[in-house]
Amino acid sequence: MALASIDRARRIGNSVVLYVTLAAISVVSVLPFLWIILSSFKPHDELYSKQLTFLPHHYTLENYTKMFERMAGFGYYYRNSILVSFGTVILTLFTGSLAAYALSRFRFRGANAIFLVFLGTIMVPGEVGLIGQYELLSAYGLLNTLTGLTLSYTAFNLALTIFIMRNVFAAVPQEMLDAARVDGCSWWESFWQIMVPMGASGLAAAGTLVFLNAWNEFIFALTMNDWTDEARTLTVGIQLLQGQWQHWDYGVLFSSVMLSFLPVIVLFLLLQRTFMRGLTAGAIKG
Amino acid sequence: MTTGHERGTQRRRQRWTLDSPYAFLAPALLVFCTFAIYPILRSLYLSFFHYEFLRPEQMHWVGLANYREILADERVTGWPGLVFPKGPLTVWQIMLYPVLVPWLTVNTPGGAFWNTIRFTLMYVPATIVLPLFAALLVDRAGRAAGLFRTLNFLPVVVSVAVVSIIWMWIYHPEYGVVNTLLRGAFGGSAGYTWLSDARLAMPAIAAMAVWHGLGLNMLLYLVGLQRIPPELTEAARVDGATGWQALRAVTIPLLRPTIFLVGLLALIGALKVFGQMFIMTQGGPGDSTLTMVLYLYNVAFRYGRFRFGYASALAWALAAFIFLVTLVAFRLSKERE
Repeated sequence: MALASIDRARRIGNSVVLYVTLAAISVVSVLPFLWIILSSFKPHDELYSKQLTFLPHHYTLENYTKMFERMAGFGYYYRNSILVSFGTVILTLFTGSLAAYALSRFRFRGANAIFLVFLGTIMVPGEVGLIGQYELLSAYGLLNTLTGLTLSYTAFNLALTIFIMRNVFAAVPQEMLDAARVDGCSWWESFWQIMVPMGASGLAAAGTLVFLNAWNEFIFALTMNDWTDEARTLTVGIQLLQGQWQHWDYGVLFSSVMLSFLPVIVLFLLLQRTFMRGLTAGAIKG
Repeated sequence: MTTGHERGTQRRRQRWTLDSPYAFLAPALLVFCTFAIYPILRSLYLSFFHYEFLRPEQMHWVGLANYREILADERVTGWPGLVFPKGPLTVWQIMLYPVLVPWLTVNTPGGAFWNTIRFTLMYVPATIVLPLFAALLVDRAGRAAGLFRTLNFLPVVVSVAVVSIIWMWIYHPEYGVVNTLLRGAFGGSAGYTWLSDARLAMPAIAAMAVWHGLGLNMLLYLVGLQRIPPELTEAARVDGATGWQALRAVTIPLLRPTIFLVGLLALIGALKVFGQMFIMTQGGPGDSTLTMVLYLYNVAFRYGRFRFGYASALAWALAAFIFLVTLVAFRLSKERE
């Protein structure tokens, strides 16, 4: 009897330690974002006082109004990031899944070689292409254009997408394709009517991965699109604002930082499983 | 694997129509070859030239001269050598001597290559161990596991740029959270200038990077843990193994493929590190956080001469090094099995 209760006490003690540790780790993960959000509503004096506060003593929107007044570029950055990211997702998923369809369902000369070329470049760091890319885009007047950046992101996300989608499509039963063929579907039609619906969850996972890659990309955006506000994406723009504002007004900076991470976090919270599947698939590519 | 085995294509040679695999491949291949393959090969080609972007007329073949320049470039290959503690040693320093010398060495800045290695040595071990620890805990959290997974995953979806800016503020000497907490815990007036102190900047950035990747690596470990049949650890426990023994004898060995994956991803990522340094320190103070990619970026776009030839050589040298390290890692993991 006594032994059993000691055992129980120990088990409860263990799980208390477990949950407290886990809670502490999670707090460390989340707190910086929470802090930025709260701080963006703090008035100037409170941010710059030695006495650090967590919850604002006074809530104010002055940082946001100031930001929209003074950071004229911010709207552009936002628009550009949205256009480039969604453009990249659409273009990559379309071209990539068509290619994956060809590579997973057809036997033709050069199929293996082509797949190996795609696969091989996953191993090559994209940074190696940075200088060649700059030259190329500059030669065709694509520097500081959203088209140029979208094309370059598409190219560097294709290999991964093809790799993921090839596995997804390979799992679609061959009988379905045969049946559609008997019914007189062309390959093109059976792609849209069978492969796309059957691979929808795979497409969604690959799509979130590509979206995150594009939305968060930094070095290419910095190199190719850092000439005008009209061409900058959010990552480059926010870094520029940081350089300009860190000595002037942290509050204004926080409100812009908060607006730039909020949509992705909200999107992630809505589509958690898809995000996690996409990112693990992206990691396990090798 | 059911790779396409199509009767139609076997029966007769297909005519060249739009309804063929080649047509399906064409758009992807076009974009891929133009905007990925070509730039990569072009960089390789340029690495054998003296080439400044603004003076294309002076471009000429120099063979391996750019690569030789890398070896002679103090800002790339500079290395402080082993660093020993100075002056009379305290008792603690004597006791920790075997750890102290490697740490002092790793924490002493050198050229871009050494700094990249420094970052790698600080970042990779922590990124292998800490997420594993977190995953083992989350794995036992039962129904709350999903919540902890989600909360820790939040930083993963946020960009390096934004995370770096947030952490610049966390590390702020006066208003930053870290110093405020230190002041609260130890009293005094801790005013560490985390990002402008040559001994603190690199560890500070590495710590941020570990924090940033924790959620994803933890998730990878959780996926790996789910593949281990629970009967195995249970059997070990029934045989009288303590939790720790079961972990060491059963879980860790079976998790080796995942550990390898996490480690390799961390390693490759660390060798390419750029954004954190570009935003937080611009490679400073001095050159203490100047990494390979940051240096090649500066050589190409910031130092004014737009030396595309030399920068391409730097890029390809780094890629070759990453390739080599990956190869060695695979070889070592094969031998272990």
